[in-house]
Amino acid sequence: MRNVAPTKTNLIRLKDELKFARMGHELLDQKRNILVLELLNLVDQAVEYDEKVDAALAKAYAGLEDSVLAMGKLKVGALAGSIDVTSSIALKQRRVMGVALPVVQTEFKAGGPYYSPLDTSASIDNAVAAFRDALAMLGRSAELRVSIVRLAREVRKTIRKVNALEKIAIPELDETLHYIQNRLEESERDMFVLMKMVKDRLSRPDSEVSQG
Amino acid sequence: MKYYVIGDEDTVLGFGMVGVDGRAVSDAAEAEAAFDAATADPEVGILVVTERAAELIRPRVDRYLFSDEFPLIVEIPDRRGRVPGRPTTREMVNKAIGIKLG
Repeated sequence: MRNVAPTKTNLIRLKDELKFARMGHELLDQKRNILVLELLNLVDQAVEYDEKVDAALAKAYAGLEDSVLAMGKLKVGALAGSIDVTSSIALKQRRVMGVALPVVQTEFKAGGPYYSPLDTSASIDNAVAAFRDALAMLGRSAELRVSIVRLAREVRKTIRKVNALEKIAIPELDETLHYIQNRLEESERDMFVLMKMVKDRLSRPDSEVSQG
Repeated sequence: MKYYVIGDEDTVLGFGMVGVDGRAVSDAAEAEAAFDAATADPEVGILVVTERAAELIRPRVDRYLFSDEFPLIVEIPDRRGRVPGRPTTREMVNKAIGIKLG
């Protein structure tokens, strides 16, 4: 319970405060629900997507291994330098209840044939294609993962706030309000009795007080 | 912005084929240096780290993952597959918010 003087002003002030806290609690509760929903949605997507990424990467590594076996690591390395694929990322933001979530878009620019088909293995073509697919998926994977981490953190913060209001702030205000109300009523009764006594005495004809 | 990859030699070579710069690392000091360089580069939008490389500098990677800064970090399995025993995304979320989601 808070230590406040039991006055009418404080009563009014605390009543307002309680109303405000209740409103905030309701809002935060809604926010929490929305965030959890969004988070669940994202987690489902991410789990599904992770499997896809893993498969794409496994394929890419297998392709790379094939080409290394066929042509040797040095040659693959040299060819890698001549491959003219560039990727660029466009980052945007999406906001969910005030949390900034990234949205990643990956674009590829591929120049013509990068190397002579003579003396190179076909497996390297597959490897390049597979890696490009995997890279495109990684963008989305990063987006999901970072979104999840940020949302989870926000959810945790919101839950803490909701609990603080629900379990501490609102009960405390309630208790203080009751205390003040009781005290006010008590003093009102005191006053009432006092007045009665004064009236009583005034109305007694032989009283000394009535003459003074 | 662009991708940047930190991992073992094969991973870096593979992503090198599709025009992604990267640095091959084999121990914690190298990984740390590469990580610092990559996170300091404003051009890097997404940092791809293999799980085994990330494991070498786990606290730093995690700290970055939970911050609001760029680059975004994504961990991928390397040629040998996922590191066993890493928490899944769902477990990570459950732990982070302390309640069980589905």
